[in-house]
Amino acid sequence: MSASGRILDEIRRTRRPMRFLGASGQLGYGIPTPAFNAGLARKPDLIGCDMGSIDIGPTYLGKGEMATAPAATRRDLRKALLGARSIDVPLVIGSAGSAGAAPHLDATLAIIREIARTEGLHFRLGVLRADLSRDMLRASVRAGAVKGIDDMLALTEEEVNEAAHIVGQMGMGPFRRALSEDIDVLIAGRACDTAIFASLPTMLGFPTGLSVHMAKIIECASLCCLPGGRDSILATLDEEQRRATPVSVAAHSLYEQADPYTVYEPEGRLDLSAADYAAVDDRRCRVTGAMWHDSTDPCVKIEGARKLGERAVLLAGAADPRFIAQHREILPAVATVVRDLVCEDAPEDYTLRFRVYGVDGVRMAAPPNEPPPGEVFVMGECIAPTAERAAEVVRTLKQYLLHHGYAGRLSTAGNLAFPFTPPEVSLGPAYRFNVYHLLRTPDPDGLFPLEVETL
Amino acid sequence: MKLSDIAQVIRSKNAGPRRLTLDLMFASDADYRRVVQSPALTTERIGSLYGLPAHDVTVIPYPVGRAIKIVLARPIMAGDPGDRDVYGAQQHAPLLGIEI
Repeated sequence: MSASGRILDEIRRTRRPMRFLGASGQLGYGIPTPAFNAGLARKPDLIGCDMGSIDIGPTYLGKGEMATAPAATRRDLRKALLGARSIDVPLVIGSAGSAGAAPHLDATLAIIREIARTEGLHFRLGVLRADLSRDMLRASVRAGAVKGIDDMLALTEEEVNEAAHIVGQMGMGPFRRALSEDIDVLIAGRACDTAIFASLPTMLGFPTGLSVHMAKIIECASLCCLPGGRDSILATLDEEQRRATPVSVAAHSLYEQADPYTVYEPEGRLDLSAADYAAVDDRRCRVTGAMWHDSTDPCVKIEGARKLGERAVLLAGAADPRFIAQHREILPAVATVVRDLVCEDAPEDYTLRFRVYGVDGVRMAAPPNEPPPGEVFVMGECIAPTAERAAEVVRTLKQYLLHHGYAGRLSTAGNLAFPFTPPEVSLGPAYRFNVYHLLRTPDPDGLFPLEVETL
Repeated sequence: MKLSDIAQVIRSKNAGPRRLTLDLMFASDADYRRVVQSPALTTERIGSLYGLPAHDVTVIPYPVGRAIKIVLARPIMAGDPGDRDVYGAQQHAPLLGIEI
């Protein structure tokens, strides 16, 4: 019998409490070994890792690439896989490969298969795919079944066609289907982080509200503790150096959520308005009171990214107070000079933007009357149809920004300090999220097919 | 007293690519109450620090976590051209100097 079948049988028989090891909130950036091993020694019933997020921006989803380094990703997957197999419990990984579309999932599976081969491991592997059919999406758009999230513009068939990848965030249903198929390792494409941990206990009759709340607390590993960290966390027993206190655990419900009292999942809504957090002792916290409301109108969150063009940037500093004082006039003036040159025999087919670090490169609005900085960092960013065109624009920009004459200029040999040359860098394709919507569907679980293979 | 002198945590992050969520967390119930009762954290005041209208700002007290959550509508979606902070992790700075 494989790990999921064994655990389901054992808990059904004994009705004992379950333990969940949250190994990593972002697999591929390192799993600290001492805490992970301490968690393993307490014999958890499931090891879970979240591997992705929408926070990393649209490019990984669009390009089909992982955000994490291949060697670090392999190291973490090996640690998690060997750990789970050593105690024969299910390993569940969600949002494979950072963004959870087919190329991310397939790259993760290739690493898993290679580790299994190298380590001589044999197990049943479940795979849940998250890519959505374009035909289904176009039909859903036509039927009015797609709604923007947070004032996102309505989805069109054209945007569905143009997205490089479109994934749905699967909930607990597909995970439960996989775990009931007697598997050892489950790798899912884009998924709700809570489904990684809450699917198994809800199959066994544990209350959904508490299960999802527990999942929400541990999905970022020890980030809910004092001090917050990246160490693994055990959901029923945490005797690590970090302390899970009532306030630190309660406060985690704030993290990356617009509403601390409500968490929306495909199957329903977690209601934390009556949640209670009590100290068991100095480093453990008992959490009760979470309620679950099933949805009568199941929705799946869908995400897609569309290619905008190729990106190149110019990176340069400046320390001349007159240049800094006049940069709001200088930069657009140079942009015009560049346009007149590069568009002499070509259309104006690119965008050029500046960030001036030290002034307003980071903040949405600089406060009025802020004294000017002693130096600034200037980034010019071009997005153009081809990499060659983007490079042409930023190289021309470099030359004319370097030598632009402005009122009162003393430094006639050059306006910019380059930290290295070339200061123009081609960054590859640029994407934007063009799908961030809710898809209303009578069968959300049916969108996410399961494949099982034996390694 | 400035908010940065009384809060234990002042942080920002995306809550999805179209919202920023800012959390103010306090070490004691007294500190929390002092700030939550203060008239300084109006949606108008916070909006003006970010160049946003008041209706793009929401303030949610969260006593069980000794925290106050502020939610802003992002004028530029995370990762869109012109975005300054894809993760939204450095948008807390304008709050630090608020006088309580």
